[in-house]
Amino acid sequence: MSQDAAVGAASRTGSRHKKAWHLAERPLVWLAPLTLLLFVTYVYPAIDVIRYSFTDATLLNPEYAYTTDSFKAVIRSPDLPGILWVTFAFVVASVILQLVLGLLVAMALHRGVRRRLPGVSVVRIIILSAWIVPGVAAGIVWQLMFNEASYGFLNAVLRGAGLSPVAWLSDPNIALWSAVIANVWRGTAFSMLLLYAGLVVIPSSLYEAASVDGATALKQFWYITLPQLRPILLINTVLISIFTLNTFDLILPLTGGGPGRATEVLALYTYNTVFRNFDLSNGAVLAVVLLLISIVFTLIYVRLLPREL
Amino acid sequence: MHKTFLSACLAGTILAGLAAGAAAQQLVTTDRVGSPDAPNVLTMRANPNQSPNNPSPEQKAAFEKVWQAFAEAHPDWQIQFEFFGQDIGSEHARLLEQARAGRAPDCVTVDSFQLALFIKNGALKPLDDFFSQEEIDDLFPFIRDGITGSDGHIYAWWWGTDLRVLYRNTEIVADAPETWEELQNAALEAAESGVEGVLFNGGRWEGTTFDWLANFWAQGGQLVDEDGKPIFGEGENREKMLRAIDYFKGLVDSGAAPQRVATIKDYNDFNAAAIAGSAAMFFGGHWQYFQLQEAMPEEAFAKWDVSELPGPTADERATGTGGWTIAAFSDDAEKIEMCANVMREVYMGPANEVIGDLPTRESLFASLPKFQDPYFDKLKDYLVNGRARPGVPIYPEISNQIQIMMGEVLSGTKEPEAALDGAWNRVMDAYAKM
Repeated sequence: MSQDAAVGAASRTGSRHKKAWHLAERPLVWLAPLTLLLFVTYVYPAIDVIRYSFTDATLLNPEYAYTTDSFKAVIRSPDLPGILWVTFAFVVASVILQLVLGLLVAMALHRGVRRRLPGVSVVRIIILSAWIVPGVAAGIVWQLMFNEASYGFLNAVLRGAGLSPVAWLSDPNIALWSAVIANVWRGTAFSMLLLYAGLVVIPSSLYEAASVDGATALKQFWYITLPQLRPILLINTVLISIFTLNTFDLILPLTGGGPGRATEVLALYTYNTVFRNFDLSNGAVLAVVLLLISIVFTLIYVRLLPREL
Repeated sequence: MHKTFLSACLAGTILAGLAAGAAAQQLVTTDRVGSPDAPNVLTMRANPNQSPNNPSPEQKAAFEKVWQAFAEAHPDWQIQFEFFGQDIGSEHARLLEQARAGRAPDCVTVDSFQLALFIKNGALKPLDDFFSQEEIDDLFPFIRDGITGSDGHIYAWWWGTDLRVLYRNTEIVADAPETWEELQNAALEAAESGVEGVLFNGGRWEGTTFDWLANFWAQGGQLVDEDGKPIFGEGENREKMLRAIDYFKGLVDSGAAPQRVATIKDYNDFNAAAIAGSAAMFFGGHWQYFQLQEAMPEEAFAKWDVSELPGPTADERATGTGGWTIAAFSDDAEKIEMCANVMREVYMGPANEVIGDLPTRESLFASLPKFQDPYFDKLKDYLVNGRARPGVPIYPEISNQIQIMMGEVLSGTKEPEAALDGAWNRVMDAYAKM
């Protein structure tokens, strides 16, 4: 390398350092593109939804006025308590089952990996495949499974075992739990993934010491595994609560919200209000309610992050 | 060796060239009709089965010939297709938003019961100049009314219609039931032999409302008045509604229909039950006749027959008639004309023969070869009692509330009176906001 070339290279390197130094000094410069993207795709639509919630807009009439009547109408709606109850039951049941099943599968996989059992990767792929199936497709699959005709899969299995068929989707008291089963089938893989990551980083020395002290497997789980997983469990709970709260793509093909309103969760009710009833302002109010609940969960998530991780 | 290699390369190049040439000449693809080099572009949104993207191989092949002829007749134009998804209600709501923003496709197939939304919102262009008065007068009256705006102009061409009929396995139910009572008795008798007596749509979707409304209409019931204001929950209409609800509730409560009807929201469920031999009767669409014919062995299909939907009495009958229209959303006069050409040359007749949707002009019904068949003769008779859904903006919410009401009644959550009152109150709340 000639001297000039060496000087040039050094100069370019220096220039890069200088630029890097400047960027480090001015975070706004490199944060700006991301901020703009987030503003356009998240903040602006959210602000627009909030704005529409303070109007009487419908999809049928381009003219609208600003009012708080839509909030009053939604709050006074006789359907709202039932919708909120269905949503609460759907979210709580889904979250609990996804956590428990996710933990069981993660522990089984972890144990399988540690023992180098064959086929563990295949099992992991099969479970994850449920997670990548789109909600609509999962809804259609489970609609076929729950079909109450003589050729419906689950009832055929029950009949084969000498048991009575179940009114999976036509009985309003069972339909919601059928929707929960379908949602848990789809969501357990995500829980498993997070919890498996948590299990992997627990130091094996803790278990070895416990074994030396004569701790049973149950005690090891209670006093080592669960406390060590606590931050992951909390974050997992918050994330799957948000996902489940916003679920409607799975329920739409599965039950459409029926029979009656037995499986109409808040997200589906919002969708129906806008796209069936063309009521943009009431739909916007419901979307704001969904947004507020999600924000509460997100704040919990944000609060947990720095402390626990 | 070297020569052989060169020959192979040359042959491959020639074949590839020929294939590329053929592709360039292909005038009909799944999402384009006409040459890709044609200077004028018409954007069109349609249901896949009404386009070159038809999922049935037989219909696709037949449709391609129709589109090919169209492309050859209009070499300066290419049609670029977009497709509707499954959820037609929300697809139309989005289309309305696009039309408001001036971003709608130039030419769109619009579901007949949603057409009024677009006419009333001024999203469509008048088409009177493209159709003769003779052609317009030739339309069935309910079709003509459906496409005519309050200003007397026609805003779409309703090219195909359908109707609901009663399918029955004649080996189980020999005679066609003509009344509600006869149907329930026949279904109960069938259920005793171990099959499902009668099936119908009862889940949360448009089919539930539409199929069931025939029972309300058969009594002379009216959903809305002349101004489009809901009236189904008042006076005589309320009584007629309750009688029609009690009819369906009675079918489920007596065991004539299984409770699972509250979950059915797809006509294919009926096909599956018929093919499996697990149902004696069902209320279906006229088009299912061909689906069953295609899917069942000949001897099994021969057992099935179609009859008019039963009424409260044999003389009080009605059937829901739906179907699809085409409307022009563009402001460009040339595109509007090309859209009208599509209506006339592709859909007015040829598409009826390809898809099997019934012609909406009496003369076409009488002349198109496909419809000169005893089955279609029967359907033509039933069309006399055909009723279309009211073309009013409140209809989608009426339908939504009837779906909820039916679910509540069929699943036993609410009594008919309470369920109807709930539906009525919510519809009136929505109407007040319109």
